[in-house]
Amino acid sequence: MVCQAASDHHWQAPPHYDSRHDGIAGGRPRTTQCAFQRTTTSSRELPGGAFTMSQSLRPYLQCVRSSLTAALSLSNFASQASERHNVPEIEAASSPEVILNPLTVSRNENEKVYIEPSINSVRISIKIKQADEIEHILVHKFTRFLTQRAEAFFILRRKPVKGYDISFLITNFHTEEMLKHKLVDFIIQFMEEVDKEISEMKLFLNARARFVAESFLTPFD
Amino acid sequence: MATLNWRTINVDALDPDSPANFDLSSLTPAVAPASTADVQSLAGQIRQLLRGGDSEGALQGALESAPYGADERGKEIHLATVIEILQSIRQSDMSPILSRIYSSPGGTEALDVLMKYIYKGMSQTQTSSTTRNLTPQATGFSQVHARGGGEGGGQAMSVLLSWHEKLVEIAGPGSIVRVMTDRRTV
Repeated sequence: MVCQAASDHHWQAPPHYDSRHDGIAGGRPRTTQCAFQRTTTSSRELPGGAFTMSQSLRPYLQCVRSSLTAALSLSNFASQASERHNVPEIEAASSPEVILNPLTVSRNENEKVYIEPSINSVRISIKIKQADEIEHILVHKFTRFLTQRAEAFFILRRKPVKGYDISFLITNFHTEEMLKHKLVDFIIQFMEEVDKEISEMKLFLNARARFVAESFLTPFD
Repeated sequence: MATLNWRTINVDALDPDSPANFDLSSLTPAVAPASTADVQSLAGQIRQLLRGGDSEGALQGALESAPYGADERGKEIHLATVIEILQSIRQSDMSPILSRIYSSPGGTEALDVLMKYIYKGMSQTQTSSTTRNLTPQATGFSQVHARGGGEGGGQAMSVLLSWHEKLVEIAGPGSIVRVMTDRRTV
């Protein structure tokens, strides 16, 4: 299980680490997708859940898709504060005029996407559905596992924005090297898969707990 | 003074010529100031139209008279009015109404304003959600609370999401870009 591997590490990212320095060269959408799929190999369609989910999920994902497509119009923009620097303006926040109005897409109170665009970078924060305490723990473990491996993901931010579970930072260098629609597809696919993954982990956890309880209580039968 | 760590001082903020002190008001087009009372009386007129069954006229009127110059309170009142109109319109009527507004003079601007209100409406619940979301987690294992809270906001959101989908079909992704770039916020 993913969450067990994650709990062995105690290294924490510095608070304002920006993932742009994570080796941008050689990053192709295929690489990021492969890296992602490796961690979520066991996602199968859940019989009941997947059907009802895709019904109400579709307009939400469609809205995220069109918002992201609009937000990902980035251009190269050197820092105005210091010469020969080129930083993501949304992270640096040193020039207010190049930061645009943020957008929020929400499906309900527990599922939201926050898009913060700027001239050369977009920060996308996702709040993953957490219906109860177990899902809250699972989401925490899962996102921690991913953010600790942020080098392999290129666009993953090391630390989520406050109030959200996981953040991505896409800069103009990413959109130049990778295909823009593939980047959007990746985010959408991530949002689809993560819900499935969490509910599957929860089912697995419950099944294991039931088995453990049964075998523990057999001697007293 | 001796305890002040001067290395942490943001010197850019003290420099009047620095980009950090860029005057954002120079990017904002001049907007007519509107008082909360004006917005309130406007909301009353629009509700009257809505009660008379003219939801399309109400929507068009609300979008054309967006109070850019109002304060937070006034903007919230107008947002509530727009959302009330949006919720009163049936799903099958959305596309025809939007295309009629789009083809009318000044229609693209009206639809841009509608897009602003849809995004604002979706960001609005997050303030109330954070307080409500904390309770089930603090008290421990309570599925009932979390489920109920989640679906409460979900109903209003799904209306906005389907409006958003129809609106992008008609006004195109450019309207989203204009929401991001326009400094006149609703």
